[in-house]
Amino acid sequence: MSIRVDSIRKTFGGFAALDDVSLNVPQGELVGLLGPSGSGKTTLLRIIAGLEKPDRGRVLFNERDVTTLDVRRRKVGFVFQQYALFRHLSVADNVAFGLRMLPRGERPGRDAVRARVRELLELVQMDTMAGRYPAQLSGGQKQRVALARALALEPEVLLLDEPFGALDAKVRKELRRWLRHLHEQISVTSIFVTHDQEEAMEVSDQVVVMSQGHIEQIGSPLTVYEQPASRFVFDFLGHINALEGLYDGAVWQSGEARLRLDTHGACPDGALTLYLRPHEATLAKAPADNAHLPVKLAARSVFGGTVTLELEPRGWGTGVLEVELDRDTWAALSPGRDETLYLLPRSLQTVTCDGDLGPRVAPA
Amino acid sequence: MSSANRPQKWHQWTLVAAAFAAVVVLLVLPLVLIFAEAFAQGVDMVLSNLTSDDMISAIQLTLIVALITVPVNLVFGVLLAWCVTRYEFRGRKLLSTLIDIPFAMSPVVAGLCYLVVYGAQGLVGQWLDDQLDVQLMFALPGIVMVTVFVTCPYVARVLIPLMQSQGTEEEEAAVLLGASGWQTFWYVTLPGIRWALLYGVVLTNARAVGEFGAVSVVSGLIRGETLTLPLLVQMLNEDYNTVGAFTAAGLLAAMALVTLLLKTVLEWRQSSKLNAAEEALT
Repeated sequence: MSIRVDSIRKTFGGFAALDDVSLNVPQGELVGLLGPSGSGKTTLLRIIAGLEKPDRGRVLFNERDVTTLDVRRRKVGFVFQQYALFRHLSVADNVAFGLRMLPRGERPGRDAVRARVRELLELVQMDTMAGRYPAQLSGGQKQRVALARALALEPEVLLLDEPFGALDAKVRKELRRWLRHLHEQISVTSIFVTHDQEEAMEVSDQVVVMSQGHIEQIGSPLTVYEQPASRFVFDFLGHINALEGLYDGAVWQSGEARLRLDTHGACPDGALTLYLRPHEATLAKAPADNAHLPVKLAARSVFGGTVTLELEPRGWGTGVLEVELDRDTWAALSPGRDETLYLLPRSLQTVTCDGDLGPRVAPA
Repeated sequence: MSSANRPQKWHQWTLVAAAFAAVVVLLVLPLVLIFAEAFAQGVDMVLSNLTSDDMISAIQLTLIVALITVPVNLVFGVLLAWCVTRYEFRGRKLLSTLIDIPFAMSPVVAGLCYLVVYGAQGLVGQWLDDQLDVQLMFALPGIVMVTVFVTCPYVARVLIPLMQSQGTEEEEAAVLLGASGWQTFWYVTLPGIRWALLYGVVLTNARAVGEFGAVSVVSGLIRGETLTLPLLVQMLNEDYNTVGAFTAAGLLAAMALVTLLLKTVLEWRQSSKLNAAEEALT
């Protein structure tokens, strides 16, 4: 089932949680709503589910207006952030709940219910725990029971609110893959909410980046990362270092730091902020002709194949800079204590004085 | 779980001993004396008092009042707790404060208020008397009305904090799975609050059986008709029928003890359930 959200507005006591939001989700896609807390993503999900009524705008399933349709008739599967399992019912009874609530005529018989529950619990790999109660399950197990319960009525829309938010890192990664896999298996149109960039990037077909009640950008994970539509999107997707300085049309300068940039006239003279992603720079023991950015090593952490360095600017800038190098590069460099190193950016994102994104530039 | 320690020093033990002494002198001794006084002149006297017409009618009246009051306040309390915890509306805080009026007000004042409104000379009472020939005060309806008033906060007060802490997500989940309002209440809300609800019922019942002040104002003290057990205790005591007074008092005390036992069992049951759930997690 396709989902269309048409100019939705929702306010809570004067505060606009959603302001004129429109969104199109084609049949069978897995879409991630990504944004910081307070960006309105959960409110949007609850409006699609029918748990909240929008002040204005429409929600359409398969181009049929369901805005005023009661929650229980929308037939969406919903997974809550804290799972909301019925604590007094066993795992099997939780999963069977939806089937047992069906009107008498549509309700399957006792054996049919049991068979369906077993099938669902096998799907989520929880068939050995059918008799347990929610309090006896770990977070990841509860999550999978909640999913099985939501799928029991074969919904054509599956909505998940921060599905992996309350889990530890390892379980999270496993469940993420597993959800992706499950989605390929049953192909239900799914929308999930997350504040975790990595999660949205890994799981979604389309990412919807939200901020302060409106949509900043909609696109594939690659698109929103490589071609961010706004400063917010660039800022929110992954860590950035902001370098603030003055530009005179050829050289960017800040204290002792200098960078020769050619912006082809796109950036006016004056204040110019440069965004640098941690993986888009390297370090050397000597400055380059076009880049003189002296730094001192403050801390490093080795994890997997990359080394993350915290660098203190020497004689320029204020904050600590974060740069990622691969292990070999780091080993070849192995600087001495207090040795001055030079940052060599490969690519930078310009931000003009009015706060918009300018062109991407490289030292010339 | 608890962070309490065993007393170590002599003054800590003294404190514990003082607490025990106070409980014995203030609570246990009078209770024991009630039964001692009742049986002072033999079991036969107690039995004859127990089977006297006044006593039987008082027991009947007290039970009838409790039997009406408890279900009324059970339904009322659940409705109120539902409104206050499940809906967001203007005046919600006010409503939850108003519930406490019977707690804050002296029961005698409550009785007088009802007399003023529903008595034969009262605003509503006069009209009822003229039009329908119905008399509420100095009769069973009046006693039930004030008892309902005095005991109405108990169930709601027990349920509100629990329902607040449980939140609405389970109910939302039920509705999303196609449950109707009634199904949601019956299969999701009620199982979650049943022990607290029972606890509220026990408290309501205890208070309904023992209420004196409000009932004494609206009862009219008609022997064999409008005397509840607490009122009978006072009446017999004023008649110098010591055995009778203490027999009735003993009955009330016995009911209180049963209530206390029930309450303890319910509390124990609830906490052991919680503990079991926690242990299962670790």
